[in-house]
Amino acid sequence: MPDTIARAGAGPAAQLILELLPEPVLLVRGGEGETPEIAYANQAARDVFRLELTGAPLGAALRRPGVLEAIETALATSTSTEVSFETIGVQPRFWRAFARPLETEPGKLNELVVVLRDETDARRTERMRADFLANASHELRTPLASLAGFVETLRTHAKDDPEAREKFLGIMAQQANRMARLVDDLLSLSRIELNEHIAPSGKVDLARTIQDVSDAIRPLTADREVKISVKAAANAGSVTGDRDQLVQVIQNLVDNAVKYTPRGGDVRVDLEFAATLEAARASSRSGVSLSLLSPDAGDGQSYVVLRVSDYGQGIARQHLPRLSERFYRVEGQRSGGTGLGLAIVKHIINRHRGGLTVESAEGEGTTFSVYLPRVVPQA
Amino acid sequence: MTRSLAAELRQLTAEVIRMGGLAEAQVVDAVDAVVRRDVPLAQALIIRDLRLDTMQSEVERRALALIGRHHPGEADLRRAISTLKLAMNLERCGDLARNIAKRSLVLSAGEPLLPLTGAIERLGRLVSSRLREVLDAYSAGDVEPALDVWRRDGEVDEHYESLFRELLSMMSTYPDSVAAGAHLLFVAKNLERIGDHATNIAEILHFQMTGEELVGERPKISFQAPQAEAASS
Repeated sequence: MPDTIARAGAGPAAQLILELLPEPVLLVRGGEGETPEIAYANQAARDVFRLELTGAPLGAALRRPGVLEAIETALATSTSTEVSFETIGVQPRFWRAFARPLETEPGKLNELVVVLRDETDARRTERMRADFLANASHELRTPLASLAGFVETLRTHAKDDPEAREKFLGIMAQQANRMARLVDDLLSLSRIELNEHIAPSGKVDLARTIQDVSDAIRPLTADREVKISVKAAANAGSVTGDRDQLVQVIQNLVDNAVKYTPRGGDVRVDLEFAATLEAARASSRSGVSLSLLSPDAGDGQSYVVLRVSDYGQGIARQHLPRLSERFYRVEGQRSGGTGLGLAIVKHIINRHRGGLTVESAEGEGTTFSVYLPRVVPQA
Repeated sequence: MTRSLAAELRQLTAEVIRMGGLAEAQVVDAVDAVVRRDVPLAQALIIRDLRLDTMQSEVERRALALIGRHHPGEADLRRAISTLKLAMNLERCGDLARNIAKRSLVLSAGEPLLPLTGAIERLGRLVSSRLREVLDAYSAGDVEPALDVWRRDGEVDEHYESLFRELLSMMSTYPDSVAAGAHLLFVAKNLERIGDHATNIAEILHFQMTGEELVGERPKISFQAPQAEAASS
């Protein structure tokens, strides 16, 4: 093997290459009756396990019983093995460990190279798919069960009770509406996903679109006595986009803001110009700020920033990263929504090569900022 | 065959780490068994618990032999005694995980309670990661991460408390869910106790590494009475 490396031209760099590999590599040494020890760990391994590993028992890095046993067996019998496992923590990770024995001289301790490959992304996608199916069917089932229950009641107990009948029919209509909204949202999400990699080509004047949306949403705001104030900077300009989809973005964000605004409160919609990506991402209020979606920076691209702010109770920090997950709902809040609104917003903005940030301070309110590539005015 | 005290202590520590790995895996698997309704996983886990018991007696036997043979000095004696205490705590974690697995078998036979399994999973993840953190601290011989676990003792209680309330309100709204809800209450309680064991382990590690006991109350978070839910559309 050393000859091969020398011939291949790596030479003295081989060691450095090993140290710089992005994947964790361990050299394990052990033998009869000895606890296997880590003889070497490259930089990536030391980072992943947050330990100075050299000289530590193998268990210090790989405790999971199945993994430990597989590697110990491979070490004792000088055979190869492969085993996958999950590490837990703030960010659970899925790993696959490849163990390959090294040739050692007779009488010396056995040696084994263990290479770890991070398979988190693939597994996470798989998991999300399964979760989505489970959640979507659950969300549909709840109103359906309630409908079935009322039908049953109407056939039996409430058969000759006109007052109860009216009341139940009202609830049934509500539940049917809820199901219809959910199915609409699911359909629109799937349509958006289908076209997500096709960039839109239309030109949209956001200021006018905002006005249209706030007119359309008036019945809801009047009902809740919430006032929407719109302020559009004169230099904001137009964006490249699909008008119908941008209407949906504004509508979902404003809907949310109105829902979390106490009766008689204000919702603000601001439209601003940002010369650079940094300017577009800059925070606009006090509190925690988090980027939910961020585009690849195009050179010299300027943006139009749309901010929707409410002055409600705000969102606790731990919920922020998960806001755009499908069906994720902040605990203790029953908004009556489908749980898909922000997921739809995020996918639409992604199709538009734009970004989305959320800023929130508990007790002060929340701002969602959408930034979209601005159409460069023709000179 | 006589071996040096250092080598024996190292091996004993490796043995406890191995035991920790098993206990940790049992807890993670128990939570998975509940969340994913994985019956074979639960059954395998229940059988595997026997090994933790054997490992505990093995650690005890070896620790006592080591102390008897070498009469270690203060720091080494603390390390040896630590292995005894850790093994006991880890074995208890294993028992609690086995109990969760047994309940998961019952739960898997009934209807899924989706929104609550999410909360159970979050509590389970939190507790498992605390167990992982103290075991990492033990492997690394670093007291700081263990102290961090000790200081954040209240977090688990907070999650447990909110899950408890959620379960009660579910059971009073849907009487059909009482049987499953009662099992979930115990699952949650067991997880909370595993969290306590993680905190115990943090205290044991602190004593082992510094020779001083952690004094004072564990930091607790006080609970406000549940607020009346705001009327919303």
